[in-house]
Amino acid sequence: MSKEHSGQKPWEGLQMPLEEKLYRVRYEVDPDHPHIKVNQEICSRCGDRVCTFICPAGVYVESPGQPGHIQVRHENCLECGTCRVACTCEGITWDYPNGGMGVRYRFG
Amino acid sequence: MGEEIETQVIVVGAGPAGLTAAHRLAREGLEVIVVERGPYAGAKNLSGLLYSTVLAQEIPDFASRAPLERPVSQRGIGLLTPEGFSLLCFGSRKWSSPPYNHTWVVYRAQFDRWLASEAEAAGATLLEGSVVEDLLYQEEGSRTKVVGVQIRGEEDTFKAPVVILAEGAVGLVSERARGRLGMSSGQIPQSYGLGIKEIWALPASTIEDRFGLEPGCGAAMEWVGSPFQGLVGGGFLYTGKETLALGMIVKLENMKKAKLSPQDLMEGFKANPQISRYIKGGELLEYGAHLIPEGGPKAVGQLCHHGLIIVGDAAGLVNASIYHEGSNLAMLSGRLAAEAAIQAHLLGDFSRGSLSLYEKMLGESFLMKDLQRLKNIERAHLVFPRLMDELPSRFTGLLADLFEQVQMPKQEIRKHAFQKALEGLPKFKTVLDLWKMRRMLG
Ligand SMILES: Cc1cc2nc3c(=O)[nH]c(=O)nc-3n(C[C@H](O)[C@H](O)[C@H](O)COP(=O)(O)OP(=O)(O)OC[C@H]3O[C@@H](n4cnc5c(N)ncnc54)[C@H](O)[C@@H]3O)c2cc1C
Ligand code: SF4
Ligand code: SF4
Repeated sequence: MSKEHSGQKPWEGLQMPLEEKLYRVRYEVDPDHPHIKVNQEICSRCGDRVCTFICPAGVYVESPGQPGHIQVRHENCLECGTCRVACTCEGITWDYPNGGMGVRYRFG
Repeated sequence: MGEEIETQVIVVGAGPAGLTAAHRLAREGLEVIVVERGPYAGAKNLSGLLYSTVLAQEIPDFASRAPLERPVSQRGIGLLTPEGFSLLCFGSRKWSSPPYNHTWVVYRAQFDRWLASEAEAAGATLLEGSVVEDLLYQEEGSRTKVVGVQIRGEEDTFKAPVVILAEGAVGLVSERARGRLGMSSGQIPQSYGLGIKEIWALPASTIEDRFGLEPGCGAAMEWVGSPFQGLVGGGFLYTGKETLALGMIVKLENMKKAKLSPQDLMEGFKANPQISRYIKGGELLEYGAHLIPEGGPKAVGQLCHHGLIIVGDAAGLVNASIYHEGSNLAMLSGRLAAEAAIQAHLLGDFSRGSLSLYEKMLGESFLMKDLQRLKNIERAHLVFPRLMDELPSRFTGLLADLFEQVQMPKQEIRKHAFQKALEGLPKFKTVLDLWKMRRMLG
């Protein structure tokens, strides 16, 4: 399943919400094999939930109305490696997406 | 049961480190397979400037064939504050003609693909779209040696007496191998910078006008100051042919502690009128992010084992000073690894002792000498924040005061301006900070 939003929504001006930036990124999404998992039990006890603000693709979101429950939008992942290092509670299991899947930069 | 595929060297990762290793090995007549998890080399890779001193040795005519954007004929260092700015631009006539100061703006998704095609033309085999899940090990008496790689979802086994791990900064397989083989890690844990990059489309003539460039020439600017809120790091702006690369590299530990998001920092940087004026009217084409190992030499551990060599970012070989030099060092370490592997094949000895020729050559190279000068860099995030926060505003404030037109004798203006700039600064501490910073910058 190819996700090619590039150029769909022209954005006036330079300031941009993250979602708008992510539209410009090409991915080959692997819906059946999420490469990131979180341990909800560890997350529910986590203090500052670093993952929710440190990820440059906004992959980790606290579920609305469910404090401490982390939703993972793995299809937006840029594979930068940050969350693995930043979450020191071992709440994240991160693996490479399957061969050829995931982010594919045209410039990089 | 799958087949057993045997080759002389397996390289994991088709970035500059792995591809340079493969190119050198293939050129010297060795059989080499490069395994890359992306659909093509460079699909997952991101960087800024390419310093080309090592590439020029490996492929002397690269400049006429590689997909290079612009050579950097002019550099700039800027300070940003909410109130004002200061910018130091410098260049040399020499930089506008070959070898262009060995500094180029490149896009890695394009450049790495080209380097991969060069390695293939030299005889290397590229296996794209394949994830190396783990290494294959074999016990031999009391020692464990690496004998190949296991590819995810693949029944065939890939075997070679030498595996070169060129996985880059994320390095899952490298991490596992270090644990399994009991390879000593560095004296300090690795620390990271997070790099964010946006690509903006603009016509070539607009780019040349805005940066004051001769047609075809390029600029590289780095900025520190208020948008980065006292964190260790800064922004960059590089010129492509018909694009600008705008981004930042900020120390991850700092950002985490201050609870700041990369998105907010990036938008803050872009909102500064000194920055937005360059990209005005452009269209965003791509957005990306990647970690950079910035721990310096003390975070570099053992890099060889029986049948194994680690190179490039996976080995932590990045000069995180003002030079931001990673890809050139990745290429050098890849080449040295290839030389050690060639030697091992000649001797038929793939033990750690034999392969550690790589570590020896690394130690004698400019790479380790530069890196050694950064041995205190891990303390940078303790020392820099104060400087990052205060110096830009004080310095630009001083300049603004010096040049502000008021009816006062110039000598008085100067006296007041300097008094104000130094006000409240514990003299000794600032001098000490600057001194430490100079030492850390190498
Ligand atoms: C924003 C930013 C700006 C930068 N600016 C500069 C600069 O101005 N100058 C400079 O010299 N450097 C710069 N760098 C650093 C530079 O990008 C790196 O040092 C360089 O890319 C390291 O090369 P490498 O070959 O070691 O790793 P990488 O380029 O990361 O390549 C690793 C490759 O291995 C593949 N891979 C990983 N694991 C596996 C696996 N298990 N199986 C199969 N394939 C795998 C990856 O897909 C990738 O292709 C910058 C980095 C960033 C992020
Ligand atoms: S993933 Fe890590 S940082 Fe995020 S909430 Fe869970 S434990 Fe905390
Ligand atoms: S790897 Fe990077 S982009 Fe992907 S989820 Fe982690 S922090 Fe976000």
